[in-house]
Amino acid sequence: MIRIVGALAGREIIRFLRQPNRVAGSIGQPLLFWLFLGSGFSPTFDAPGLEGVTYMQYFLPGVLMMLMLFASIFSSITIIEDRDQGFLQGVLVAPVPRVAIVLGKVGGGAALAVGQSLILLVAAPFVGLVPGWGGLALILGAFVLSALGFTTLGFAVAWGMRSTSGFHAVMMVFLMPLWLLSGALFPVATAPGWLYALMIVNPVTHALRLVRLPFHMTPGELAADPAYLAALAVTAAWLAVCLGLSVWRVRRVETGVAPHRAPA
Amino acid sequence: MITLQGLTHVYPGHRKTPPHAAVRDLSLHVPAGEFCVLTGPNGSGKSTLFRILCGTLTPSAGRVEIAGADLFRQPDAARRALGVVFQSPAVDKQLSVRENLRLHATLYGLGRGTLAARLGEALEWSDLEGRLDQRVDTLSGGLARQVELAKCLLTRPRLLLLDEPTTGLDPASRMRFLKALHTLQRQRDMTVLMTSHIFAEAEAADRVAVMMGGHLLALDSPGALRDRVGREMLVVEAEAPDHLHAALAESLGRVVTRHGDELRLEGLGRGDGLALLEQVLAEHRDAVRSVAIRRPDLEDVFVHITGRDPGDAAGPAAEAAEVPS
Repeated sequence: MIRIVGALAGREIIRFLRQPNRVAGSIGQPLLFWLFLGSGFSPTFDAPGLEGVTYMQYFLPGVLMMLMLFASIFSSITIIEDRDQGFLQGVLVAPVPRVAIVLGKVGGGAALAVGQSLILLVAAPFVGLVPGWGGLALILGAFVLSALGFTTLGFAVAWGMRSTSGFHAVMMVFLMPLWLLSGALFPVATAPGWLYALMIVNPVTHALRLVRLPFHMTPGELAADPAYLAALAVTAAWLAVCLGLSVWRVRRVETGVAPHRAPA
Repeated sequence: MITLQGLTHVYPGHRKTPPHAAVRDLSLHVPAGEFCVLTGPNGSGKSTLFRILCGTLTPSAGRVEIAGADLFRQPDAARRALGVVFQSPAVDKQLSVRENLRLHATLYGLGRGTLAARLGEALEWSDLEGRLDQRVDTLSGGLARQVELAKCLLTRPRLLLLDEPTTGLDPASRMRFLKALHTLQRQRDMTVLMTSHIFAEAEAADRVAVMMGGHLLALDSPGALRDRVGREMLVVEAEAPDHLHAALAESLGRVVTRHGDELRLEGLGRGDGLALLEQVLAEHRDAVRSVAIRRPDLEDVFVHITGRDPGDAAGPAAEAAEVPS
């Protein structure tokens, strides 16, 4: 089981590394977003409770989140491609536990997302975000959790889809808003009431908190912070629900209807 | 080796399409060591049947037993005995041949040692030696097919299922692939069930199953199937087929079948064709454009059994449209 998951996840990583433009795009795009949007908004950023935090600092966790979202979208698109190009049918007829198919895909996609996030994390000290070692470990843990959350969500959505163009629609009206309303671009606390409500039920808001707070608080403070603990619980629940949904979808086999319903 | 019992599959309908039965009460037994070709026109239910046998579609009713294991109750045991070659390649084109083989071996739980030991036997018949580190998308179509088969051989399947495996191959690659398949089947004592709509591919099979409209119309050896059409047949091309059809039937007192513009007199014994040919020319010379004596091949058998031209998608049976897997 572990070998199967490893082999399937390894395949994702090999395929990714063999596409240099995908590697460049996945790091370059968030970096440009961060530099351009961050620099542009910096002069106007003045959020209550965040005194002393520049917009470049505020936006970095948001950009890391965007990177994970896009990594997950790419991973989901490969599910559709695998089905379309025929690779998937070979995996489905193999005597492989269906959970392993999900974990292999999701594990590979999440590993890629975490790897890319770590590269982008190198930018943090340059804008004055220097977490301690404990904070760094917590950030890494947050990366793993949110990357898995995003890739399993993408998996559950993309499984069974036949066209990548259909998935683009889902991406724009469902996945992108999850990120837009996560507090990545603007703080949750100052949002108007209806928006605040949407943002607070959005699991990505909580995953983002897991990434952002360790930059500003020590592990000791975090352990006593109810908002941080709540974020941890919500993110874990999000991951569990999406994982369960994905496995359920993979296990389902198209079934014929009762014979008497067909015309003779 | 594989037994199908009362297999029925009805696709659920949608708002505008009623449910339709693609496979109807089909029973078939392929004993161990047999090479069986499943053939039939488009929409006959071949692809649906294939998807059921792979376990990617659960039928409405019926049982499938592979190597003694119930496909739906003990899927893993059945899958372990099974090797599948799909019509669309199930290899990762961005990986090398070796990486594909290694991944496949891992999916079937073979360790590194086993993989190394079996690599030789999986490849010796092929033209892949020296190309193990080449990416699959750089190989020709024929070689890519060989990767597919080599991959399956790694797990030493007892039953090999192939879905129109020669689709998209040129005639030379097609012949090479089939020849290798037949040799491997005998050498390694595999049971083979292969779908095909190319009747020439069935000539070398032990038995041929002909499907139409979800039913099994015939199941016999190629020789016995050919005998149904007789040793010889007379094919007459007419200027006005309608007219000659009636005239021939009357003057010869035989059943004349019509396929497009061709009129056929089937079921002739050896040597009967020549006498009949003379008679046709003597009585209908002016109405005949050409006339030939032929030894029936499987394509003629197919036309005889299904009553339609191969590949002709029109007709009532075509309503049960084939669903791509």
